[in-house]
Amino acid sequence: MFKLNLKIALRNLLKNKVYAIINIGGLALGLTAFVLMLLYINHEESYDTWSQDLKNVYQIRERHSFFTPDNKEYWQDLSNSRVAGIIKSNVPQFKAITKIDKEWGNGFSVKINKNEPVLIKSIKDADSAFFHVFPYKFIKGNSEIALKEPNSVVLKQSLATKLYHTTDVIGKAFRLVRWLGDKGIPLKITGVVEDVNTPESVVFNAISHTGDQDHDPTDPGNSHYGEIYAKSESLLDTTLLNKNLQKVYVDFKKKSFSEQKLNFKEVYADGKMPGLKAITLKSVHLNPPFATNWIEKIKPVIGISVFLLLVSIINFVNLSTAQSVQRAKEVGVKKVLGSYKKQLLTQFLLESAAQGVIALFLSIILVEMLIPAFNHQFDVKLSFWQSEQLLTIFSELLLVFVLITLLAGFYPAWVLSGYNPISVLKGNYENGLKGIALRNVLVVFQFVISVTFIIAIGVMEMQSRYMNNKDLGFERDKVINLKTGYEENFVKRIKQIPGVKYVSTTTQVMGNAFNTSTKITFKGNDIELNRVSVTMDALQTLGVKVLSGRLFSKEYKQDTVNSVVLNEAAANLLGKNLVGQSYGFKSYDNKIISFQIVGIIKNYHNEGFDKTVLPTVYKVSNLGGSANTNNLLIRFDTDNYNGILKNIETEWKSLYPDFPMQYESLDDAFSQILLEHKRFVNMIILFSVISVSLSLLGLFALSTFVAKRRTKEIAVRKVLGASNIQIVNMLNKSFLILVMVANLISWPIAYIIVKKWLDGFAYRIEMPVLPFIVATIISVAVAVLTVSLQARKAAVSDPVNALKYE
Amino acid sequence: MIKIENLEKVYKTEEVETTALNGINLYVKEGEFVSIMGPSGCGKSTLLNVMGLLDKPESGSYKFIDTELLTLNDRERSNFRKRNMGFVFQNFNLIDELTVFENIELPLIYNKVPTGERKKLVNEIIERMNIVNRSGHFPQQLSGGQQQRVAVARALVTKPKLVLADEPTGNLDSSHGNEVMELLCELNETGTTIVMVTHSSHDASFSNRIINLKDGHVISEKINKSRNEELI
Repeated sequence: MFKLNLKIALRNLLKNKVYAIINIGGLALGLTAFVLMLLYINHEESYDTWSQDLKNVYQIRERHSFFTPDNKEYWQDLSNSRVAGIIKSNVPQFKAITKIDKEWGNGFSVKINKNEPVLIKSIKDADSAFFHVFPYKFIKGNSEIALKEPNSVVLKQSLATKLYHTTDVIGKAFRLVRWLGDKGIPLKITGVVEDVNTPESVVFNAISHTGDQDHDPTDPGNSHYGEIYAKSESLLDTTLLNKNLQKVYVDFKKKSFSEQKLNFKEVYADGKMPGLKAITLKSVHLNPPFATNWIEKIKPVIGISVFLLLVSIINFVNLSTAQSVQRAKEVGVKKVLGSYKKQLLTQFLLESAAQGVIALFLSIILVEMLIPAFNHQFDVKLSFWQSEQLLTIFSELLLVFVLITLLAGFYPAWVLSGYNPISVLKGNYENGLKGIALRNVLVVFQFVISVTFIIAIGVMEMQSRYMNNKDLGFERDKVINLKTGYEENFVKRIKQIPGVKYVSTTTQVMGNAFNTSTKITFKGNDIELNRVSVTMDALQTLGVKVLSGRLFSKEYKQDTVNSVVLNEAAANLLGKNLVGQSYGFKSYDNKIISFQIVGIIKNYHNEGFDKTVLPTVYKVSNLGGSANTNNLLIRFDTDNYNGILKNIETEWKSLYPDFPMQYESLDDAFSQILLEHKRFVNMIILFSVISVSLSLLGLFALSTFVAKRRTKEIAVRKVLGASNIQIVNMLNKSFLILVMVANLISWPIAYIIVKKWLDGFAYRIEMPVLPFIVATIISVAVAVLTVSLQARKAAVSDPVNALKYE
Repeated sequence: MIKIENLEKVYKTEEVETTALNGINLYVKEGEFVSIMGPSGCGKSTLLNVMGLLDKPESGSYKFIDTELLTLNDRERSNFRKRNMGFVFQNFNLIDELTVFENIELPLIYNKVPTGERKKLVNEIIERMNIVNRSGHFPQQLSGGQQQRVAVARALVTKPKLVLADEPTGNLDSSHGNEVMELLCELNETGTTIVMVTHSSHDASFSNRIINLKDGHVISEKINKSRNEELI
């Protein structure tokens, strides 16, 4: 019987190829978005799962004691280095504890012999216990002794291959230069560990043991902060453990305070007590100390993809039931021949399952095709077949498959198996055509979503264009930002290179901003302003626009002492005609220093458009030497500055042979800021495309259905003289009403959502009308096209057949 | 073999109640060929559906060799139907997606006949029906007469005790119609009981007994002498 039913199913699919393709394709589309999301979730869940032993590894967290704008409690992953020692002597459950220095800078320079220096990210300094806590597999060397001696380093296999083209590197040495001007530490390679195949919270390319992490600062007032990880023999009860940690930590604090002659109660008068706790390594990725965790971030995406899958299932149900009329006779005959309802139900469920399997395979192919683009787009490394969690994925897919089979197959199967044999065998299919109202609602629903998406894309596109073209208040082309401080000698040399117009530095550059505030007194009012220190040429380098007054210049002696330039936002706070006026600033020894305003510039954007330009005062100061800004701005007088860059690099190498030169153009920095926004827009576009296609499938299903239901009516009308166009129009009209209703519903919905999104930008467009109109036109046009396709078929068919058939 | 007493069937819609069967009493002897005739709407198809266990009457009794059938549940009805009855329809009702062979095989599958025997039975009947060279064809590839032969073959392949035919010649031209009627007669001669609903007195003339229905009543019953004599 199974064989025969399979034959019927296949022959039916082949007979109705278009339906089969639409039905299966639609389901595959809905599944694709869902599977991609599953892969992403699996990837995020796979953090720190590369070894079973990691279950017993804990990260130590300290309660964040500084001010946070939202006043929430935060637990930072950086702890006082002394904590490691306290834990060691007070928490015997931990068999091994390691301290890792926080990562800083853009990477360290690795200098092998006389070779060119190479910038390597994530070379972390730890104490000798690192590999006692983290069970990395050693390809070369031995985990017990690898980091025992100071000035040793263990490389990841990938780094060893990158640097030496081999993993046979034990005993080789290099110099690690951590910042410009660092004389460097000689390190000897004592081990190579395997790269792991699932993501890690503690990312590294190499672990060095310089010895810096072996001791805590001697002065009790000084602290060194780093990450601390501890490993136990077995899984611990964290509540109990954390109670103990808290007590131990408070005791330590009290003791430390009394050594520093501080009063514990006074320091913690605000009730914010010091805190210490341990969390499992597995939960580290899910609980970033300050940022939003990934589940929160992708919640809307999960919502949308689940929703799209549901829509595709609904379409499947709609198409299957619409088509079930063709199977009515089969059901009738089988029932007469003695088939039970249950047998028929099983048969049709299996048919849905078969289609589900095909859809699933299609979606896997689609996923495989989309993954590279998806990875690029969302900056992740997902894979399907190569995935470590292939088994998990397959079991999840099996679950999804069973679920969609039941959801998509049950209703059509129920309808079909419920046919009354007496009526269907007489050619009366009435009960196959029930539920038209419900289907209308579903189509409206789908179109509401699609129209909302189209409007959203339109508005986002317009906002993107606005941001790309917006006057930033400075000229972002022909400027590069060199990652170094203002070193007089170096600056003098590159200023002499032809084509270099200005060289300067500032504490505020695009993509690299840290704001410090200053309180001034102007006409008796205290006003808080953002303070930016610049060198003499910085504002000229950026190419800011002067609204009134002038920029800093060497010609004015006082410019290095007490001249300031304000931006427009600050000027608006202070009043009018400010150039030439002065304000007061209370110095640390309570003296009032007077500053004269020499110019006002147009606001310039040094951050994304989601942030307002702060009211800012610019002041010249000496930013060389220890006041390292790590921003050296160079403006060229030509767009084609590659040759000039080479000359700069030559100068760099002669001065700093141990550290590679790093730079980015301000143009790139600006694009980088827009990147996240662009990614979001692209994701919305992806979902829109899927959503719109699914809605069209839904409409196609419904129009097929209606055309079929009205076959007799169409035939009678034709016999009475209706033209084909009249018939097509008649069928179109009912759908146009649905689409218009959907548009009316989606306008306010889209308005609210898009408004909220736009509100996230400090600089934004006014809510445009155009996307709303365009979305309506598009939705109506595609609806008419889809329905006409189906209606034409019904209209041109020979009425005699239809009438005879009835 | 069949004894029907006081059968009542009422169709209800929102506005009207139609009495399709109004106290029908009927018997059919084993080996008999009975025709049911009457004007449109007289209840003859309803009666056939009730006899085929496709429809449930409101009240009455329907005994098939001493078994009361009206008290059976759906599953028991299906089981009884597939073991004891065969159907022939006016519009053939073959499954379009199945070949001639597969269509005929279907009731055997429902009766859980083993594969080997199934093949044998189907081949036998195909031969008997003279449609051997059509066994791999799909219904649409056959003429109406051939389709009805397949339908008859399908009704007979399980060797049912009772064959119910609903206007079996209604969609056929007269020569094909005659062919089918002769087929039914042959079948009857080998002992199968047949109940046939028909409009055509020509077709009815092939049967032993003709029952006339009107407004849900049996209004007359006629023994077909010529056919009975023929048999003797």
